[in-house]
Amino acid sequence: MTSTKNNIDFGIDSRYRSKTEKDSESNQLMKARLKRQQNLSKEQINNARLMQLKLRMEDYLQNPAYDAKNYFTQFLKQYVDSLYSKRSNFAHDINITPNLLSKILNNYREPNQEFFYRLMIHSEKVFQHIGEFQKKLWIQVYYHEKICDTMFDQNNWRPKIEKQIKLSELTIK
Amino acid sequence: MNIIELSSGNVIPIEVLPVHESDFKSITKKRYFFNWRTEKAFEILKLIIRGEHEILGLISFERIPNECRIHIRLLTVSVENKGDHKKYDKIAGNLIAYVAKIAVMDYAELACISLTPKSALVNHYMEKYQMNITGKTLSLEVPEILHVINQYDNDEH
Repeated sequence: MTSTKNNIDFGIDSRYRSKTEKDSESNQLMKARLKRQQNLSKEQINNARLMQLKLRMEDYLQNPAYDAKNYFTQFLKQYVDSLYSKRSNFAHDINITPNLLSKILNNYREPNQEFFYRLMIHSEKVFQHIGEFQKKLWIQVYYHEKICDTMFDQNNWRPKIEKQIKLSELTIK
Repeated sequence: MNIIELSSGNVIPIEVLPVHESDFKSITKKRYFFNWRTEKAFEILKLIIRGEHEILGLISFERIPNECRIHIRLLTVSVENKGDHKKYDKIAGNLIAYVAKIAVMDYAELACISLTPKSALVNHYMEKYQMNITGKTLSLEVPEILHVINQYDNDEH
């Protein structure tokens, strides 16, 4: 049986033969999926949203975005809002003030090392039953964004800074 | 993500990347069983060993956003990885898991990937990936889709 399976398991041609076939299969599948979705527990929905967040963070690291968006805080908001009814409850759980959390989420204050330690440990606990979550992921996203911002924003900072930089002991031909 | 070299048991890290126009020179029907040029209108991904060029597997798929679904159109391993004497294991599984990751990244709890394999393979896919069957279509949804992602995406440290 295994041998037979291995001999045909080299590939799948799963293309619909006609629009009629596609529409008919789609309708049936949609009905069945809606029923199954109604039976999803709150925990299963939450796990899917947290997995989505993790995959988006990993994707951001692999596909740098050179734009003005605040990726770290957007991801952090999604994380907190997936888990808590009130953001202040998250602040309480990682032992910081709601005011500090609000400033970080709204980009009025940079997160410090201590904040990352707490976020790292919180995420480890949350993802324990969902899937692997790299310890370094939050910090990587944060610094990755800094690099992207610096490179994206060169037209703004470079003209002024270049005037301040000299190579007094070097001869450049 | 990784594959297993069956002769040694070694775990080999892999990458899944988009197929580029230049890849089609090496993607022949003889080695990859289908005419992949006809899939150019859709997204095609290739699986390679990290840092190498040889394509070990291919997958093409169609995003159907109004259904929060990705339909797998073609999936194959290279001729050396077919059957009882295949060189590497987990090629097809990694490609399916990669498409599952795209679906969850886009659609979260509504994510779904689907395919319609030959009837001889239906039970195999249902057992191996915990897929649901509706009509001729096999589908992978939450929560099973998360299990498949975790099964294949657990070595990124």
